[in-house]
Amino acid sequence: MTSYGMVFDVKRCIGCNACTVACKQENSLPDGVFFTRTLSAEVGEFPNVSRTYLPTICNHCEDAPCEKVCPSGATYSRDDGIVMVDGALCIGCGSCAVACPYDMRTKIEETQLTNGLFGEGNLTPFEEQGYTRFECGTFTKCDFCSERVDAGKDPACVATCPTDARVFGDLDNPDSKVSRLIRDRVGRQPLPEKNTRPKVFYID
Amino acid sequence: MTDQTPVQNSMKSGTWKKSSCKMCIHSCNTVVHVTDDGVINKIEGDPDSPANMGRLCPKGNAAIMRHYDPTRFKTPLKRTNPEKGPGIDPMWEPISWEEAMETTIRELKTSIDEDPRKLLPSIADFQKLYLWAWPLVVGNSNYFSTAGSFCGGGYHPMNGFIHSTFAAANDVNYCNYWINNGSGDGFSSHLHTAAQAFHVANARVERNMRVVCVEPRLSIGGAKAEEWVPIKPASDRHFALGLCHVLIEEGLCDYETLKHDTNAPYLVGEDGYFIRDSDGKAYVWDGKDNKAKTYDDKSIGEFAIEGTYEVEGKACKPSFQRFKDILAECTPEQMSEITTVPAETIRRIAREFSTAAEIGNNITIDGRDLPLRPAGYNYYRGAHAHKYSSQSNHAFKLVNMLVGSIDVPGGHVGATLDDQKVDNGHVAEGDSGQLLGTPHQLGPHPGFSYPPDNMDLMSYFPLGVHPGHLNVEVWNNPEKFSLDFKPDVMLICHSNPIWSLPGKREDWFKIMREMRFIVAIDIVPNDTNAFADIILPGHDSLESWNMTMIEPPHTEGMCLRQPMTDPLYDTRSEEDIFNDISEGLGLLEVWNTILNIVNGFEESPNLKLELDQKHSDKEMARRKGLNWNGKDLDWYIEHGHAVTPRRTDKWYKPWQGLRLNFYIEDIVRERDGLRKAMDTAEVPIRDEWHWDDYQPLPTPVLEPVLRDNDEYDLYAITFKDIQLNFGESLSNPWIKDIVYRDPVHTALQLNTKTAAAKGLEHGDLVLVESKYGKIYGRLGLTEGIHPETIGVSNSLSRMMSQNAGVPYGGGHFNDMLPADLENTDACSAQCESVCRVKLTKLDHIPDELKGEGSLYSYSDGRAAQ
Amino acid sequence: MANISLKNVLRPGFVGRTFKSGYRFQRYWDTPMATAFFCGESGAGVFIVSMLLNFMPGVILGLLITGVGKTFFHLSHMGVPSKSWRAILRPDRSWISRGLWGIIFFVGFGVIHVISELFGLVPEVLIKPAYFLGLAGAIVVVVYQGFAMSHSTAISLWNTGLMPLSSMLYGLLSGVSMVMALGVLDLYATDESQLLMVTLFQKILLVAVFMTILSLLHGAKHGSKGARQSYELLTSDFLARPFLIGVIGIGTIMPFLLLMFAPVNFLTTLTATVSILFGFYLYRVLIFKAGVMDPILTPADMFGK
Ligand SMILES: Nc1nc2c(c(=O)[nH]1)N[C@H]1C(S)=C(S)[C@@H](COP(=O)(O)OP(=O)(O)OC[C@H]3O[C@@H](n4cnc5c(=O)[nH]c(N)nc54)[C@H](O)[C@@H]3O)O[C@H]1N2
Ligand SMILES: Nc1nc2c(c(=O)[nH]1)N[C@H]1C(S)=C(S)[C@@H](COP(=O)(O)OP(=O)(O)OC[C@H]3O[C@@H](n4cnc5c(=O)[nH]c(N)nc54)[C@H](O)[C@@H]3O)O[C@H]1N2
Ligand code: SF4
Ligand code: SF4
Ligand code: SF4
Ligand code: SF4
Ligand code: SF4
Ligand SMILES: [Mo]
Repeated sequence: MTSYGMVFDVKRCIGCNACTVACKQENSLPDGVFFTRTLSAEVGEFPNVSRTYLPTICNHCEDAPCEKVCPSGATYSRDDGIVMVDGALCIGCGSCAVACPYDMRTKIEETQLTNGLFGEGNLTPFEEQGYTRFECGTFTKCDFCSERVDAGKDPACVATCPTDARVFGDLDNPDSKVSRLIRDRVGRQPLPEKNTRPKVFYID
Repeated sequence: MTDQTPVQNSMKSGTWKKSSCKMCIHSCNTVVHVTDDGVINKIEGDPDSPANMGRLCPKGNAAIMRHYDPTRFKTPLKRTNPEKGPGIDPMWEPISWEEAMETTIRELKTSIDEDPRKLLPSIADFQKLYLWAWPLVVGNSNYFSTAGSFCGGGYHPMNGFIHSTFAAANDVNYCNYWINNGSGDGFSSHLHTAAQAFHVANARVERNMRVVCVEPRLSIGGAKAEEWVPIKPASDRHFALGLCHVLIEEGLCDYETLKHDTNAPYLVGEDGYFIRDSDGKAYVWDGKDNKAKTYDDKSIGEFAIEGTYEVEGKACKPSFQRFKDILAECTPEQMSEITTVPAETIRRIAREFSTAAEIGNNITIDGRDLPLRPAGYNYYRGAHAHKYSSQSNHAFKLVNMLVGSIDVPGGHVGATLDDQKVDNGHVAEGDSGQLLGTPHQLGPHPGFSYPPDNMDLMSYFPLGVHPGHLNVEVWNNPEKFSLDFKPDVMLICHSNPIWSLPGKREDWFKIMREMRFIVAIDIVPNDTNAFADIILPGHDSLESWNMTMIEPPHTEGMCLRQPMTDPLYDTRSEEDIFNDISEGLGLLEVWNTILNIVNGFEESPNLKLELDQKHSDKEMARRKGLNWNGKDLDWYIEHGHAVTPRRTDKWYKPWQGLRLNFYIEDIVRERDGLRKAMDTAEVPIRDEWHWDDYQPLPTPVLEPVLRDNDEYDLYAITFKDIQLNFGESLSNPWIKDIVYRDPVHTALQLNTKTAAAKGLEHGDLVLVESKYGKIYGRLGLTEGIHPETIGVSNSLSRMMSQNAGVPYGGGHFNDMLPADLENTDACSAQCESVCRVKLTKLDHIPDELKGEGSLYSYSDGRAAQ
Repeated sequence: MANISLKNVLRPGFVGRTFKSGYRFQRYWDTPMATAFFCGESGAGVFIVSMLLNFMPGVILGLLITGVGKTFFHLSHMGVPSKSWRAILRPDRSWISRGLWGIIFFVGFGVIHVISELFGLVPEVLIKPAYFLGLAGAIVVVVYQGFAMSHSTAISLWNTGLMPLSSMLYGLLSGVSMVMALGVLDLYATDESQLLMVTLFQKILLVAVFMTILSLLHGAKHGSKGARQSYELLTSDFLARPFLIGVIGIGTIMPFLLLMFAPVNFLTTLTATVSILFGFYLYRVLIFKAGVMDPILTPADMFGK
């Protein structure tokens, strides 16, 4: 079986958020909507201080709380473990959003789709061809670029990452790059105490 | 959701075309997706490019939003509001191209006919360098921009002296110890950011390359470094001289290289010139035979690099000894006092650097036996853009040269700007076996003139890059500088001088207001074109042709740009516009002649532009491509680029057999030449000229900004970062969406303890004042900044602008910078980019910061939830 | 752009929607949802108490509060109101689905019960089942929202069994209090012992609610990092004033004192009821507002930096 996951190499990441913009570009995300974002954390005191960049994304949790609480069945898992949202079924109750410990769900507000990126109410041709994918009022999130993945491509954020800090692959295949990185460099999952079994791992 | 039409943009039905990015000055290779309906809906890096390997930085990812930006100029425009100023609406009125061109040509002609010097051009697109040369058409050498000098005033000429190149970078292929001094290289800015970040990350992770970042601010480079060395701004040369001191005092240098591959042994007389024989050959001292011999004497047993000698009756020393004498005053302890870097740290880094350089080690690459020196000291704008920039640049190069790591695998290597032809070499032999220094990387010097022919005084800077910032000093004091003309028309293309120039904004506004006529060729409103009388709208980078190669560090080759769609609006290419203006002035043939020279079409009859014809952007691209590798446009359209790794014979020691300029005698020669010219012409200001700025070896002289020590107790610095292209990309909604969520770009960066000592808190509103100007801002406290520094991101240096999409940030950092001779390097024309400031806490938002367009209008005072 | 507030950036520890690692407020369940929760619990509470007391005005009020109030506010919270019916689809795993079934039973059978009581039009066989099914539905409604919250591992403040307990206690307390207020005249007139029982019950519930809130705070104080942030917010930061004065002072202590020491009359009963309902409503709003998510990760957690 295939089980898709991602590894973030924190040592490589330069916090540029090219991934964030690539995702907005690929998925026509409205203003303020992010499927991934790279956070920064400052640690230590001058002069012994460092800043770490932490890419974050939907973890496609094995035990996804967002899926469990979804009353409409809009959130579901594919056989390859990608946690999907069917916008046509979502009722916008937000249960998934308060259930996701990683703050990875966002609502698509009608005003975001009508005001447009330039805030003037005139959508660019780019937005016009892209926004049709969204249902107003629904909660959405990253789907690991399932269409690209199905076509054998890397997700958009992975493809663009200037430092190769994002690696996508099959966690069930012990020889995949993700599996090797997790083994060799001790991959850690985010908030393991939440028992969600994330399929995203961090290495440093 | 299966079996439906795709929703991901790259998966929709459409076509992919190859091109290259233009969201910063570089040119990462791209593939662009256009839907069947003709909408550009995805841009990715070209995975076939050895430069960026399919990757793009955030700006490159955001190009679509510039293309579809509704504020783009859609037709030629004419101003109807005579009042000009920041935030004042010009009340544009659309006009026809005929009217716009007619007016433009008429107005330019009026002034040029009177005196060609009355034109102030500001043409600054690095991807179309040949356009920079247009003013030569009318014999004009003014320059109303800071592109090239704010960043590279001292840098480009010094690269020309040391490597005979425009830029330089550490060789990421082998480097194991990377000193990163005031530069975003490989992390956030400078050379092909997206490409270089990939190679640097690989080196760090796969080869454990150690990065030591010397910078006042914990930049991205600092965050990724193994060691961040906070340093007081503008004191970087002193850090480097401290390293040099230790390297020499502790015998940690690559003496073989110094003796055989540099002019370190050349004997220098007290006048600063080499001691020469009657044929003009420089002498060295043979330590074996204990006598002077010419540098190329086969019988030399031992090149002395230390000691004091007398040759032909003149006291002299090897240039290495001259440097050693200077360094006597540069002990780590002394340098520590200036830089605040502990002396022990300076010692340790010098030792680590020398150890990492593996002096004596060799490597065979492509059949050549080369020194392997996997240690490099890389730097850029932050480190050297200060008053004594020439000396600073030289000091950084000498750290490398002392351990033998100039232009060798793993070391600090020169990168050419644009070789034009695949087999063009960039290296030539100079005097006495030295590498010929080529300081004029951006074009020939206009030559000395008195009264000066250029409002920026370029004629007085024989080694410099145009000091655009001095325009304001001369404008304000025309008699002092004996200016015998007064510019009254301005031609702006792809440039935003009112944002980018240092100095008091009001003074710059004044110049703009006094222009009789301003024409701007641009695609979006900016701070400068808001003063224009006519706007000529250009195609954007997804609608136009181009062929370029800009400072790629370890790749080379032309990159194609091609139109993805028909132009969205009634726009034209810059080439068409300049051709028509030239024709209108009756100077088309002159323009074509110039284009032939600057593009290197001269030597190839088949490429030479027909003088009476107008050549489109497409035709220019075609010929530039042909000139590079003989391939026609269809080849480029298919391949997108001719990028290959830099050939090692060009990258490593292309000057093999010549000697590097350890000591730069040309600087002394140019100084004396200028002095003589000034004396002859009796230039009144010649006694004020800073002759001491011309030094053949770097000294520990203190920058003026380090000498002031009155009530201005902090240093303010500016920076770019990878999300930002100066300030301009901030009109892009995707860029805004990430920039204004990043703590580094939403507040003035101040050290937590400094703030505590001043009774200031996170989020406080402050007034920041230098001797010259002021800005407002909100404090963001951080441990990641030197305690004497306040960091101002370019995202905050935003003025009231015609582009309502760009939030007003509380003024402009550059307002606080000096734009005067006092703070200009007389040798390289570099301006000072750091200033001393003081902070005053404000208890409410000043009126000028209120209003919808302001970054600070979101909340007043410390906000409760 | 417009939705980026510097305010959030400037709160130490909290990072709003910035790209800084740190605490984030849950911002998806807001006042309309809090109001819907309030309506659900207080409506079910008054329904349950009134059913047990066979107090028709209370039964009808409960049906109205839940059937109309809760439904209205739920729909105004819902992103896609027209598809809200779909929420019934996953009772196997979602408390929201289960709750919706509860509401259907509660309102459906409650209405049948009312019709049967008032007009007697209901077939005999249905009367008893309707009574019990309606009551069962109401019992689900009075607790399910608490379960929906306690199942959120994302928000540590909520992630405790005290959530359904507080829902139930608060629901019943509100119910009893509304019954008291509604029926005050009637009850005085008819049944002294029932009145005593109800007021006693009210005081016990009030003490229980008070204790539950204290336990919640105690648990939060000693809970995970996110819960501790919630504790700080509720006790010393910007939510402290409404919480300490509004929820605890006006919502519990004041009515308790009134009920214990003030003469029992219409005015005191009404005042006590209003302050209890006010406190409950504020509680619902503030518990939402104080919902804090842990930093997704910190270098210290991950790599021991
Ligand atoms: N992303 C991006 N890339 C670019 C550009 C861009 O606008 N955006 N512009 C291009 C151009 S034209 C240029 S010139 C290059 C410039 O490239 P860089 O020189 O890399 O860029 P800067 O950010 O101007 O300066 C580098 C660093 O110097 C630091 N600094 C400031 N003052 C001092 C000081 O006194 N001492 C030291 N040690 N450090 C100091 C700043 O904190 C900053 O991090 O980038 C090119 N590439
Ligand atoms: N405070 C501060 N000041 C600085 C710097 C800094 O880091 N901080 N950096 C300095 C440096 S290193 C430099 S090189 C200068 C750069 O200064 P400038 O050369 O003035 O650079 P930009 O601000 O990028 O202005 C270029 C303008 O070109 C226009 N433009 C963009 N794309 C196109 C196009 O396709 N066609 C046409 N026709 N126009 C286009 C846009 O309006 C844009 O504003 O600034 C210097 N000034
Ligand atoms: S693109 Fe890569 S390097 Fe940049 S922030 Fe994202 S993960 Fe980090
Ligand atoms: S990260 Fe959040 S949204 Fe993604 S699967 Fe896990 S719980 Fe669901
Ligand atoms: S908002 Fe949509 S996806 Fe989320 S839980 Fe509700 S119905 Fe499911
Ligand atoms: S995998 Fe695709 S959808 Fe998910 S964050 Fe990356 S680009 Fe966005
Ligand atoms: S570094 Fe410059 S050329 Fe490369 S992707 Fe970024 S903006 Fe484009
Ligand atoms: Mo620059």
